[in-house]
Amino acid sequence: MALSKIDVANMLTGATPVANGGTAATTFASAGLGKRPNAKPLIINGDMAVAQRGTSFTGVSSGANFTADRFQFYLANLGTYTLIQEALTSGNAYDAGFKTAWRIDTTTADASPSAADYAILRYKFEGQDLQSIKKGTSNAQKLTLAFWVKSNKATTGSLDLFDYDNSRIVGATYTVNTANTWEKKIINIAADTTGAFANDNGLSLGIEWFLDTGSNTQGGTTPTAWESQTNTNRNVSNFALGDNTANDWAITGVQLEVGEYTSSTLPPFQHESYGDNLARCQRYFQMRAEGNQKIISIAHWAGGSEVDFIMQIPFMRTQPSIEYTTGSEYWAIGGSGGSTNTLDNLNMNSWSTEMNINLWTTTGAGGTAGYAYYGYTNNASAKLGFTAEL
Amino acid sequence: MFENCIIKYVKRNDVNVCIRVTYPSNDNGSHKELSVPLDEANTDYQNILQWVADGNTIQEAD
Repeated sequence: MALSKIDVANMLTGATPVANGGTAATTFASAGLGKRPNAKPLIINGDMAVAQRGTSFTGVSSGANFTADRFQFYLANLGTYTLIQEALTSGNAYDAGFKTAWRIDTTTADASPSAADYAILRYKFEGQDLQSIKKGTSNAQKLTLAFWVKSNKATTGSLDLFDYDNSRIVGATYTVNTANTWEKKIINIAADTTGAFANDNGLSLGIEWFLDTGSNTQGGTTPTAWESQTNTNRNVSNFALGDNTANDWAITGVQLEVGEYTSSTLPPFQHESYGDNLARCQRYFQMRAEGNQKIISIAHWAGGSEVDFIMQIPFMRTQPSIEYTTGSEYWAIGGSGGSTNTLDNLNMNSWSTEMNINLWTTTGAGGTAGYAYYGYTNNASAKLGFTAEL
Repeated sequence: MFENCIIKYVKRNDVNVCIRVTYPSNDNGSHKELSVPLDEANTDYQNILQWVADGNTIQEAD
């Protein structure tokens, strides 16, 4: 059918433009919204496309760990795992447009975790990015969390939203109905008229998928309404990913929408270009150099044995830390000074800002103050990144 | 969070300007390090302050 007219007014309000200028209700109207209140997806890298730190890490046994950017795996005394940015080639999630996923494989099991042990996947938000939710006001909005999940275990797991500003939680469970099959889960989250998010760059909200935990977070009742933090209500149905080395769990297409939606009204996932996605991830982490003989920045000899690197970077959330993999002579400088000098470590100057960075270090050799150099990596295993994660 | 790490101040011109966190070595002899600014908005610094509150001590600079 040829279109004779498109009603631009409908496009501006969010209504679907149809042939001959009619009107058609949108998914947003079903949630009481004229249009999506956020121009960009609230979840950054929900399609797991960006993995600046690497695509596979084996032997993960503690700490806070990344493969795909923005999704952080927290582990304490509960098994050992391999983390992978998995390339999808088939399945329901692939057919829905997702080509990568965050995946975890259990490699050393722990079927009897102690009370305080945990294995949790978290996504964290800045408060200033969540003001459209209107939390803590009489106009607080409901939310809808959607994601694709796959596991060898057909069982039920728990997740929660944790309000770090006000120590409040709301929870939900989801069930993997069929093993080894991508399934889409859509979870409605209650509005909360108590406890506003701070309007700043600090941590306000986390989404937590409890992959396995000890008894400290179990034994209660899943809170379907927001409540003051009660740890035993956070992981009521434990997925127990760590109980067998055959276990795996994967997730992609993570989407958080303002408003209450069903499977038939949920707006489509907002796919971003890789470049846009990467740029948003770089507010929290930037891989500056990786591998041998990669340029870091210009440098100069400050005098004595001290060398300074000066660089401008995309604006980060806060003054970043340097996060780097190093060893003997992993770094070097060369240039107008005539000689090449190797370096073992780098330091963040306290004068650095969110976008203007001064690294400095000392070498075993002296140099001529004011001479210009360039800094570069000097080992295939060298990695240099800046981190301002939440 | 900082299991088996060495956490030490770094001085510049006799003033502590950052904290170096040295992680245990990998099989190939390399290791991860963090150089953390003394900025309370920085999460790594927050984690170090929590680590100190838990009863640990940052080593003085060399």
